[in-house]
Amino acid sequence: MSDGDGLPERQLSRDRFLRIAAAAGGAVLLPGVAAEAAGALATESGRLQVLDWAGYGNDGGQDMFAQYVKKYPSNKPQFTVMGNESDALAKLHAGLKPDLFRPYVGWVKYFATSGLVQPWNPKLISNFKQLNPFMVKAGQHNGKQYGIPADWGFDAILYRTDKVKPKSRSWGLIFDDRYKGRISWFDDLNMITLAGLYLGFPRPWRQTDEQLKRSQDLLIKKKKNVRLIWSSEPNLWEAFGSGDLWIAYAWPNDWVQMKKKKLKVAYMRPKEKPIAWVGMFMLLKGTSRSKLAHAYVDAWSSAKSGKWLEDNYGYGHANTRARPTSSDLLRALQLTNLRAVTEPNAYLDRDIPRRALYARTWEEVKAS
Amino acid sequence: MTELAPAAPPAPRRRRLDLTTPTLLGLPLGWLAVFFIAPIAIVLLYSFNVYSLYPGEQGFTLKAWHDFFQSSIYLSLFWKSVQMSLIVSVIAVALAYPLAYFLALSGTKRKYVFLLLLIAPFLTSYLLRVLAWKVILGDHGVINSFLSWTGIRDPDHPISQLLYSRFAVILVLIYVWLPFVALPIFVSLENLDRRLLEAATDLGASRFQAFWRVTLPLSLPGVVAALFFVFIPTLGEFVTPSLVGGASGYMYGNQIVDLFSTGFPDWQTGSVLAIFLLGVVALLMILSARFLQARKVTAD
Repeated sequence: MSDGDGLPERQLSRDRFLRIAAAAGGAVLLPGVAAEAAGALATESGRLQVLDWAGYGNDGGQDMFAQYVKKYPSNKPQFTVMGNESDALAKLHAGLKPDLFRPYVGWVKYFATSGLVQPWNPKLISNFKQLNPFMVKAGQHNGKQYGIPADWGFDAILYRTDKVKPKSRSWGLIFDDRYKGRISWFDDLNMITLAGLYLGFPRPWRQTDEQLKRSQDLLIKKKKNVRLIWSSEPNLWEAFGSGDLWIAYAWPNDWVQMKKKKLKVAYMRPKEKPIAWVGMFMLLKGTSRSKLAHAYVDAWSSAKSGKWLEDNYGYGHANTRARPTSSDLLRALQLTNLRAVTEPNAYLDRDIPRRALYARTWEEVKAS
Repeated sequence: MTELAPAAPPAPRRRRLDLTTPTLLGLPLGWLAVFFIAPIAIVLLYSFNVYSLYPGEQGFTLKAWHDFFQSSIYLSLFWKSVQMSLIVSVIAVALAYPLAYFLALSGTKRKYVFLLLLIAPFLTSYLLRVLAWKVILGDHGVINSFLSWTGIRDPDHPISQLLYSRFAVILVLIYVWLPFVALPIFVSLENLDRRLLEAATDLGASRFQAFWRVTLPLSLPGVVAALFFVFIPTLGEFVTPSLVGGASGYMYGNQIVDLFSTGFPDWQTGSVLAIFLLGVVALLMILSARFLQARKVTAD
């Protein structure tokens, strides 16, 4: 589509005219950015289609993209909820045509090589330079920026200090026979990775068949100690908060939430290292609203949005200038340390080449 | 003499095309074909890898079926679910029978009021009813609090098996399905020819003998229908186990859902599990239909 296509079809409101005039005027001073913005207004139409997790659309996450809506009121985002990356993948293959979606960092390579997505143009994202460089790097494949980092956190261990006496700072606590019936795991194939970490495998994301068998055997053997395999945070908060659970595979926000309930809890960073996860916005190939998608992600990437996310959802934000009000969350996320998400502090979650096999192995653990 | 012309044969009446039956049946049958048979056929094709939503190698293969029957894990899980559903069905029927008996045969004038009370829980959300059990069964729930208050149980050692366990799933499913079970039994008893009971009494049968030899056998179709009515849906149940089942209450239905939607989509294996469940359920429905066709016995 050439510039200007579709323009005559739309009626220009006064508001819209003024914005285009402003963009055109600004173009004298900032030719590149303003021209892009004006180009977006001229060529891209319709509502921005966003495939995202529940709670990040008009069901509570409006502050994350308020700047975008203010700027492009005629192209307000329209949301489809994704249950997880697997669900998103199914929806994309079934014919859903979103402009962007937000899988997690372990899926970047999978989607980048799937032919479903295209790289972003970081120059169109004014807040890009404020994003954590390690997370930015994790969003790249073959030198191209396929993922724009957004929210993040750790997989580590939450436990009740008044009930649990860990033998050591280790992932072994979530397998500890002494606390049978008080432990909670997370319903994700990352449990296989975690078992590999605990068993000391050098590359837990690329386990051999024999290593996978050992990881699975460990999980099946220890599943008798597990009371709940949680799949949503409210599910965990309710069970942990009511005292049914004492130890859980958890995220930093879960620790903050349990502290708010006046429970004596600690958030352990195991010696085998926590795993850091990062939400990555990805741009769908062939989207007709590429620039609007960039503007949407730009709004998400601002320090203001980041602070809102940290204060309201308890996750970290990739914008290094975003700081939460809660000092507890600041500590749990180690927000003053840019390297918190990577070695030697943690492992950034990564591609699992045999993801289907990992998933099958984990499903068999649950079914056993 | 004029010959009388033979009377002309009556003109054949034009046969009217009766479209009533095809019209009446067409819509529901078409609906079933498009929204029930076709999706099942697609799932079947998925199970043989003839059709796949994802790019990759496609082609008829029995591998997923072979793996399923070779896998002790999936079949064990299915057997575990069968056991749980059987326990739920039998207990629900045992509890519902006296209830239905009272409503149908006690002669109370308020039986329909009681019947309404029985189904009153349906006025609230299914999820709400299941979630309410968490308040009752939790470590600091109603039961454990009562036990610690009475000194029967140390507050630091509550009965933790009450929630997030197989027991919790069975208990909640019984609660949820009890009204469903009572209804077919009630109908079966309500239609019982009372003269048969009078005849039994006239012939010297005690009340228990009359129940054992007349009422129970004649209400068996309703009992069997009720049994299947619970067993079939609970076999594929996944909502209740995911809410109160925890790690040990995980059922076959949960596995199907998870294969389709979590981790990495494995629609082929998920389809195999779903079709296998469908096959078992279909077989059970045929069996239950045979019981439902049992002839009604009257005193005439």
